[in-house]
Amino acid sequence: MSLPSQFQNYTTGHFFDEMFSGDQQLSARAHYQQIFQRFDRLTASEISDRRQQADSSFLEHGITFTVYGDEGGTERIFPFDLIPRVIPESEWSMVENGLRQRIIAINLFLNDIYHGRKIIKDGIIPEEIVNSSKNYRPEMIGFDPPQGVYAHICGTDLIRDDKGNYLVLEDNARCPSGASYLLENREIMKRAFPQTFGGMAVRPVEAYPDTLLKTLEYLSPRKSQKPVCVLLTPGVYNSAYFEHTFLARQMGIEIVEGKDLIAIDSCIYMRTTRGLVQVDVIYRRLDDDFLDPLMFRKESMLGVSGLMDAYLKGNVALANAVGTGVADDKVTYAYVPEMIKYYLNQDPILANVPTYLCWRDSDRAHVLQNLENLVVKAANESGGYGMLIGNQSTKEEREEFARLIEAHPREYIAQPIVSLSRHPTFCEEGIAGRHVDLRPFILYGEDVEIIPGGLTRVALKKGSLVVNSSQGGGSKDTWVLKDF
Amino acid sequence: MRLYIFHRTTYSYPSAVTQSYNELRLHPLSNDWQKCISTTLSILPICRPQSYLDLNGNIVHFFELPEAHHRLLIEARSIVETISQVDFQNFPYGVNLSKLSKMEGIPECRDYLQTSTYVEINPEVWRMAVDIQDSSKDVFQTAYQVMEFIYQNFEYCKSTTTVDTHANEVLKIRRGVCQDFAHAALALCRCIGIPARYVSGYFYDSSRDQRMRGAEASHAWIEVMVGGHGWFGLDPTNNRVVDDTYVILGTGRDYRDVAPVTGSYYGPSPDGFEVTVRVKSTDD
Repeated sequence: MSLPSQFQNYTTGHFFDEMFSGDQQLSARAHYQQIFQRFDRLTASEISDRRQQADSSFLEHGITFTVYGDEGGTERIFPFDLIPRVIPESEWSMVENGLRQRIIAINLFLNDIYHGRKIIKDGIIPEEIVNSSKNYRPEMIGFDPPQGVYAHICGTDLIRDDKGNYLVLEDNARCPSGASYLLENREIMKRAFPQTFGGMAVRPVEAYPDTLLKTLEYLSPRKSQKPVCVLLTPGVYNSAYFEHTFLARQMGIEIVEGKDLIAIDSCIYMRTTRGLVQVDVIYRRLDDDFLDPLMFRKESMLGVSGLMDAYLKGNVALANAVGTGVADDKVTYAYVPEMIKYYLNQDPILANVPTYLCWRDSDRAHVLQNLENLVVKAANESGGYGMLIGNQSTKEEREEFARLIEAHPREYIAQPIVSLSRHPTFCEEGIAGRHVDLRPFILYGEDVEIIPGGLTRVALKKGSLVVNSSQGGGSKDTWVLKDF
Repeated sequence: MRLYIFHRTTYSYPSAVTQSYNELRLHPLSNDWQKCISTTLSILPICRPQSYLDLNGNIVHFFELPEAHHRLLIEARSIVETISQVDFQNFPYGVNLSKLSKMEGIPECRDYLQTSTYVEINPEVWRMAVDIQDSSKDVFQTAYQVMEFIYQNFEYCKSTTTVDTHANEVLKIRRGVCQDFAHAALALCRCIGIPARYVSGYFYDSSRDQRMRGAEASHAWIEVMVGGHGWFGLDPTNNRVVDDTYVILGTGRDYRDVAPVTGSYYGPSPDGFEVTVRVKSTDD
């Protein structure tokens, strides 16, 4: 008696499918063979066992996130899908090269913007774009951040189009979240499928906390002693608070809130039960705006008065540096390929999604006429907030966005709707294709280190293109396979 | 073997310098033995590097920094796929030294038989070379003996020589680093008519106890022309025939042709100079 195949009703639709090639006749790609065979044979009870096992580990570990603007104001488990996403090494090394090239160019851009502004003088990027960016910090002009690097931790979002090409969707160069989920997903997969995992050459991700700590320590202004690093969190109500505690614990450093720190004589100290301890490096998971009420938002209760003074005097390092947001502004994003050509004299390895800039008259006219076929995004929002997906929107929503675009053209960009690649995922109707993206994590300390794979996010709602956890997305473990 | 190379050079100056013009030979070559998959150069202060191919076929990047600056930072990150240059079961023995007299007429070899900036052909070196050659009549065998001679009789020592030490000096004091060992080997080979060129690059120390020399820095070795078989790499610093753990940045008559970073500027001498090189295998 043969068991019914888990994939018998699976279709790839008109999308690029990560696991299968071919429209009519499904055939698993070479690097997915083992995964395909393993999951195809699973019985319903095995699936529910493993499901429960995974869910209970998530609950035990307290892996949750908070949704803002939700009446319940609830903390939720980040939904996890058992079928891993597999990336062959040959493909990954191309992605890795592309990411490395990109982060270097972005850091050179930030350096340039806060120093000589050559790229503006040479007419590559218009000055008003930089100056009008919400996250541009004139306080940083002329300041040399420790080791000349601005964005030490970057989570670049990649998608694949209908041909399977990797495209960069956005660069999160401020405080990207998700590394803790990546690590936990791997832990859980190893427990749920020990043999499958053990039988394949999956590149490890466990070095992340260690590499992150080295990245932070590298920035320390006091070279003579072991650096004191801390993680500065906005507090328990932040959506990524779980991640903050997780990473601090993994790195073995203190997690602090603004009220735990104090500035004395342009140095930052941490209050401890044994008195004040000088802090060298702050891994801040707090936006620039809230860092220092003396310099930025006056009403911020989350920051530390005098922090910027200590920072600008070089007595404490911040990761990421202040003012990196100017590079992950979605308008600046459109110029990254030009930055790569300008600073590195190279062609970009990873392409951008074509982007219309609403402040350009011609682009705006096109956007307003084609709202139905475009995704419109606010230039300075993240987390899937403030966006319009043309073909899934109502007439009222489109009119609302048209008004917003007319009123604040600088604040909006539009992109064609990319049919994101899909990946087999456990759903109510069995295994079905769901759209996925990929957020690799890049660390830039002494050198650029990229954790193999990254966090694969999956839009669990049928047909949905929004993968953000705050908008009903889930995640998968991502396996970079050697020998493929 | 797939290797990742990180090479950083920093200069800091006691007061501002201006009109800095620099050339970099930090881009690995692509040839029969290696393929450079990517190289990314980043330079601070901000500038726009451009590139050209020099007469030796090396990739050169150049940039200028007219404005005043206190610090220059150059980083190169490369990924290179290497394959072994030699079949270790099958060294290119069998080419007689008597065939070498024709080499001078071949344009590809001519430059590598002459005196150059750091290497001199003179009777004293020739005498030493003839002693090393002993009874050997074979080109590869002789070059191998030269490598062995240097490895066994020269002391690897970091502080006795400078970047400007001439091969004659090295042969006299019998001490130095990879650059000096390579220059000495070039002089000995060229004196007895073996075309020999200088190679700048890196190598990955795959030994368990990391006992090899020069892995955490720019490395240098030589290549000799074995008629009919092409160029072969020999590393006198480690007494090794060059294999897939070596990455070639460029080749030339001597160090002068392939210095990784050269340049000029107006201002005081640097009071800080630091080089960091990391070579990692991405296969494991």
